[in-house]
Amino acid sequence: MEFLRAVFIDPFADMIAAPDFLLQVLWEGLVSGVLYALIALGFVLIFRSSRIFNFAQGIMVVFAALTLVGLHQMGLPAWFAFAGTLLVMFLLAVVIERVVLRPLVGQPDIMLFMATIGITLFLVGGGEIIFGGENKQMISDELGIPDASLEFNPFDGFLLIEARDITVVVGAALMVAALLVFLNRSKMGRAIRALGDDPQAALSVGISLTTIWVLVWFMAGIIALMTGIAWGSRAGVSFALEIIALKALPVLMLGGLESISGAIVGGIAIGVLEKLFEIYWGQPLMGGGTEGWFAYVLALTVLLFRPQGLFGEKIIERV
Amino acid sequence: MKQLTRLALAGAVAAFGTGAVAQELFTPNLSYRTGPFAATGIPLMNGQKDYMDMLNARDGGIGGIPINFEECETGYSTEKGVECYERTKGAAIVTQPWSTGITLQVLPKTNVDQIPILAPGYGFSPMSDGKTFQWAFNPPASYWDGASMLLQAISDGDLSNLEGKKIAHLHLDHPYGKEPLPLFEAMAEKHGFELLPIPVGLSEMQNQSAQWLQIRRERPDFVIMWGWGAMNAGAITEAVKTRYPMDQFVGVWWSGHSDDLQLVGEDGAGYRAISWSLPNPDAPVMAAIREHVVDTGKTLASAEELDEVFYGRGVVISAILAEGIRVAQEMHGTAEISAPQLRDGLANLDFTQARIDELGLTGMMAPFSTSCSDHTGHSGGWMIEWDGAKFVQASDLLTADRAAIDPLEAEKAAEYAAANAPWPVNEDCDS
Repeated sequence: MEFLRAVFIDPFADMIAAPDFLLQVLWEGLVSGVLYALIALGFVLIFRSSRIFNFAQGIMVVFAALTLVGLHQMGLPAWFAFAGTLLVMFLLAVVIERVVLRPLVGQPDIMLFMATIGITLFLVGGGEIIFGGENKQMISDELGIPDASLEFNPFDGFLLIEARDITVVVGAALMVAALLVFLNRSKMGRAIRALGDDPQAALSVGISLTTIWVLVWFMAGIIALMTGIAWGSRAGVSFALEIIALKALPVLMLGGLESISGAIVGGIAIGVLEKLFEIYWGQPLMGGGTEGWFAYVLALTVLLFRPQGLFGEKIIERV
Repeated sequence: MKQLTRLALAGAVAAFGTGAVAQELFTPNLSYRTGPFAATGIPLMNGQKDYMDMLNARDGGIGGIPINFEECETGYSTEKGVECYERTKGAAIVTQPWSTGITLQVLPKTNVDQIPILAPGYGFSPMSDGKTFQWAFNPPASYWDGASMLLQAISDGDLSNLEGKKIAHLHLDHPYGKEPLPLFEAMAEKHGFELLPIPVGLSEMQNQSAQWLQIRRERPDFVIMWGWGAMNAGAITEAVKTRYPMDQFVGVWWSGHSDDLQLVGEDGAGYRAISWSLPNPDAPVMAAIREHVVDTGKTLASAEELDEVFYGRGVVISAILAEGIRVAQEMHGTAEISAPQLRDGLANLDFTQARIDELGLTGMMAPFSTSCSDHTGHSGGWMIEWDGAKFVQASDLLTADRAAIDPLEAEKAAEYAAANAPWPVNEDCDS
């Protein structure tokens, strides 16, 4: 009876007793969710256009953030370093397409997946040789990301919101909007979608596979850079950021590998729900540490009912 | 005939090769300069390596035999660490596992391989019991020493002040982070404070909002951090964000890294950590390192790094190993010592203040000595405090409450031996 009370009554009583704290939990969950969604977006973009599960997305986040900080340390002003990083990410996309992907055209998907593991190892080694493994400070101030902490007093309590987190949420929303407009309204965006829907038909009408691959890898690089800035401004830039990419996996399982909306909704859902579960059920009943597995359990539960994820396409193959 | 000639040539090369390899002291370091913990590993490894390079350059090694301070990269992964141990154990006279997880894995193997483990300031705390753990050494202080000293620091030297208080133990969800729990639990029961363990998983190291929301809700009187790598920076930034009072936030010696605090600068002022080493840029040993290693372009460290806590600690760690080698050479009358002979050296360390000064380590470490039964030495440590720009010494030397730790240590050592029976115990070890 006591256990049932702890599961079904106490958490909700706590939420009602301290609504300002609940708002703080929801805000922190939303920020985490947006950050998870950003990482998942990079995966989705590449998978949509090429059916490649890009294992290297996590290390691309680290590499982009390190390049930005590294170029600034070399004396470039912040926004020049930003432009320089975009150039580096573009060159990386060109090299990956030319050296890794093009020779593997027509090979089974698993070969391409393995190739992205190779890219990961290359970027880890290269990143460490070029930039070193030390924790580096993100150039948030230089990029104009505000540093203030805002305090609100709802329900006679307090709610602390970092201006930096607001920037992340707004920035992510703008980027997703721009991405959706590009994919739905521009010629190149439609070409990316066409290649994902039916590669043979897309190629037959003259869509260039190499151009599209460079473009999507470059776009994934831009998303990686934005993600690196967002995460790095919270706790510095180090190779530990790569681990955070693991958080994108349940997001993809939940939202579906092909859906940008799925990545956004899945990311935010996981961010908010894992935070609520950890604070109101995990910590009081299990001693905490539930964030490591909660997202996977949630995603697997959804998969039991919708194997394609919440927003994924149901694929029916005739045999 | 040709084949015979080739065989003879190969034999000669092999014999010459073996001879050449034997003329060195092989002291492999299972380092981690890559991965999520690299930020804290790099300055430590640099300090260790530079001290050994300095001895090679200045003295031609130790006792005239050059030191081969090879590093084997583990990325702080226990599996890779065990691989590194297996790969290097052949000619090694010591193994330096550099992670509590790796230490626990190789601990039983060293009984068979007869190689001493040197785990300064880390590993399984009961390794201090030299009678049970014949091959393991964790000088100059164990994690339980650290936990005891931190409790003294936050209670102003009187643990009865902690009665009725709530203390959060924010720790990496890893064998390292859990290591002080038995002592904290025993102390909580004895002194009447509430212990609140808060684990931080690997994937949450840089996003600890849930852990700090718990801290905001539970309002602990103190937070003791057992963090490592990216977890430290994550915790410090969240503490600032949550406006947790920095003078109530303390950490173990691996959570006192300048780079982690640089991220928050002034906002982190007042944060303290216990440390068994202090940086001292004016110490003679640092001058020797600058002359023989830095100025000759052999170091991997940056100029600023040389003055930091972790680099200085790396230097002290290598000095402890070097002294163990020297003592072993003296005891056994040979410069080319074996692993079992080094064990004797490590069990007879005597870092008096005079010896510390002689080695040029003035102001960098506290005196301690080891023995057959005491493999730690329990030097004690100082609280260091972040002043907004750097760590400064913030207390006199603190020492652990050994009367409280010893019974628990004996109990856990006996438990370990029973769980891993048959476990060899050194019955001749009385001192």
